Amino acid sequence: MIPAAARAHPALAYLRAHRGRPATWSDRYTTMFGLVVAAAVLGRPVVEAIAGLARHADPTRLGAGLALVTAAYAGLLILARTFGPVVLPAADASWLVTSPLPRRAVLGRTASLLLSAAILAGAVLGLAALSVFGAPDRLGVRLAAALVLGVAAGVGGMATAVLAQRSPAWDTGLQVVIAGVLSAAVLAAVLGAGPGRRILAAVSEAPASLGAAVAGVASVVAAFLLRWAWAALDRIPAHRILASSTRAARVTSAAGALDPSMLTWIMEDAHWRGRALRSRPWPRLVARLGRAPALAWQEWLRVGRRPGRLMALLGGAALPAVCANATGGETGLPFGMLLCGALTAAAMCTGGVRRDGGDPALARMLAVDGRAVMAARAVLPALLAASWSVLALVGIGAVGALPADGWWLLGPAPAPALAAGALRMARRPPVDHAMPVIDTPGGAVPTGPLFWALTGVDLALLGSLPALAVLVTRPTDVVPYVVAQAVAGAGVLGAYVLVAGRAAR
Amino acid sequence: MANAIITARGVGLDLGGVPVLRGVDLAVDSGEIVAVMGENGVGKSTLLRCLAGMHPLPRGEIDVFGGPPADRLDFWQRVVRVGDEPAWYPGLSVREHLELMRAVQKDARLTVEETLDTFELGARAGLSPLSLSTGQRQRLSLAMALLRPSRLLLLDEPERGLDAGFRKRLAVILRGYAAEGGTVVMATHDARLAEIMGARVITLRVAS
Repeated sequence: MIPAAARAHPALAYLRAHRGRPATWSDRYTTMFGLVVAAAVLGRPVVEAIAGLARHADPTRLGAGLALVTAAYAGLLILARTFGPVVLPAADASWLVTSPLPRRAVLGRTASLLLSAAILAGAVLGLAALSVFGAPDRLGVRLAAALVLGVAAGVGGMATAVLAQRSPAWDTGLQVVIAGVLSAAVLAAVLGAGPGRRILAAVSEAPASLGAAVAGVASVVAAFLLRWAWAALDRIPAHRILASSTRAARVTSAAGALDPSMLTWIMEDAHWRGRALRSRPWPRLVARLGRAPALAWQEWLRVGRRPGRLMALLGGAALPAVCANATGGETGLPFGMLLCGALTAAAMCTGGVRRDGGDPALARMLAVDGRAVMAARAVLPALLAASWSVLALVGIGAVGALPADGWWLLGPAPAPALAAGALRMARRPPVDHAMPVIDTPGGAVPTGPLFWALTGVDLALLGSLPALAVLVTRPTDVVPYVVAQAVAGAGVLGAYVLVAGRAAR
Repeated sequence: MANAIITARGVGLDLGGVPVLRGVDLAVDSGEIVAVMGENGVGKSTLLRCLAGMHPLPRGEIDVFGGPPADRLDFWQRVVRVGDEPAWYPGLSVREHLELMRAVQKDARLTVEETLDTFELGARAGLSPLSLSTGQRQRLSLAMALLRPSRLLLLDEPERGLDAGFRKRLAVILRGYAAEGGTVVMATHDARLAEIMGARVITLRVAS
């Protein structure tokens, strides 16, 4: 005798019956106990934080804060679009999607997970937005409106991403939405830094009822999108689910094996596979400079082939300034972002180094002196890191957060050290999971991933010590520090090229 | 043996305590083509890696160009090894991989166009190597190896993935290389390829 529920949803019954062991009373008790402990630990700080929202917005931080929240929402949409969002475990994707089972029943569990993630992310974004705008009156109404608006935005965005997975027209629409949200982030940053600050202040002072009305409209729109997305689940083409699931499975396996270097490799291969490239001959000037510059030219070519990525990187140079504005002129966090961003810029153009580090077969075939190649390959990362730092410092200076005039010189000076760090990052071997795990009062620390993560960053920090000293001591005259930084940066890069170049083929 | 490029005497190697090579003797002259054959696991690829200086401590004595082989720049300027598929540079097309080799190697043996024609890759020149079939990627590996100047080619199963027609063409290409004074040592399972290449066949037996 087959139960009625199983007859109604045979796919669900099958999946439930074969997906691990059923939850026991012990599992349920552990889950409930965990939730109660979390509520007890987080309850008081959350209530205090919410009570602290009953204030007027700070007009000087309004634009920057709103820009960060909007950029985070754009990031959520980009993430959803990149990974699917509808994905299945590899086995389910292979066997169930191509079977005659009703697709919505097969995808139901994924859909509920996506909905939960969208609600959670939306609620966090709503709270973040409320912390930016403040709640000058009627805190309860404004809090509810912010939460509803955030959840509506999260659910609506996720539903649009599901629809985009089904049809190219919706995908184009989603890309327009992402571009619009990013533009809104830039606009908010610009308005917040200039005379448009009054407009944002007026928005923050809008009556709570208006916010509630907007939240209501947004939730209706989100409900419609959710309905369409639920209907679309049945019609998502199998090949799209398979492609997303394969991509997600590769990324998950790389993350599961704690080998993040594989992620970069996978993403690069996925980008270039199947693309027709307009081949260009090597410029004569580069070829005349010698074998090593000729070999290093490929990095320049590759960076030029991804103008969108380059523009996003250059656009990201505004983030430290936005952050400086949002934190009220504090320099610690923006300068931390500056170093991270410059190191990211340098690491963006080390694909060839990464390939030769992982598999030296082509490097052996090309037979070029390792030190000369390493030096030639350091030029572009140093140049990009220096350009990014100068742009970011100009931005920080424009919002009035630079303590003195000469500080912008601290941008290009550490660039060689950052290039050395990026090259070391590109050549690091996979994570060594055989390294010991150290027990500390804060929990067990696996040293393998830790050492892997610090490889490269260590050299960048070592070579940037004079610049970091400026941040700590805040001297009136930074010129001696800039000179020391330039010498340290060049010294670290030179030493790295000498040592690592000898080992490279 | 005045023209000997490779001299190996009593070469042996254990991997993980298991003997892979034992007492292998080999002498290869300049301009010669040698095919190393034998069943799977007999140590053909290992022997080629030993000849390339990629196994640090094999037993016996190996001389390549009058000295022990070493994984160093001056060695790789004379020797080219084609083994498993290499990690292609991301974002470069097939043609650009060849352009890169030509830009780096001043005295290249072939132009890029000649190489594309010879290895029948012209129709795929604008694609990333990742978009090619297994056989086409093998052709690209061989094309890069034969575009650059060298004196010794170490080829590990060069026939891998190639269709029957192109194997014959490869035999002609390698005979041409040897006629110019180059030396070829290849591990292969294709006796026909070795035969039409006019290769001297050396058969390895399982080490015990």
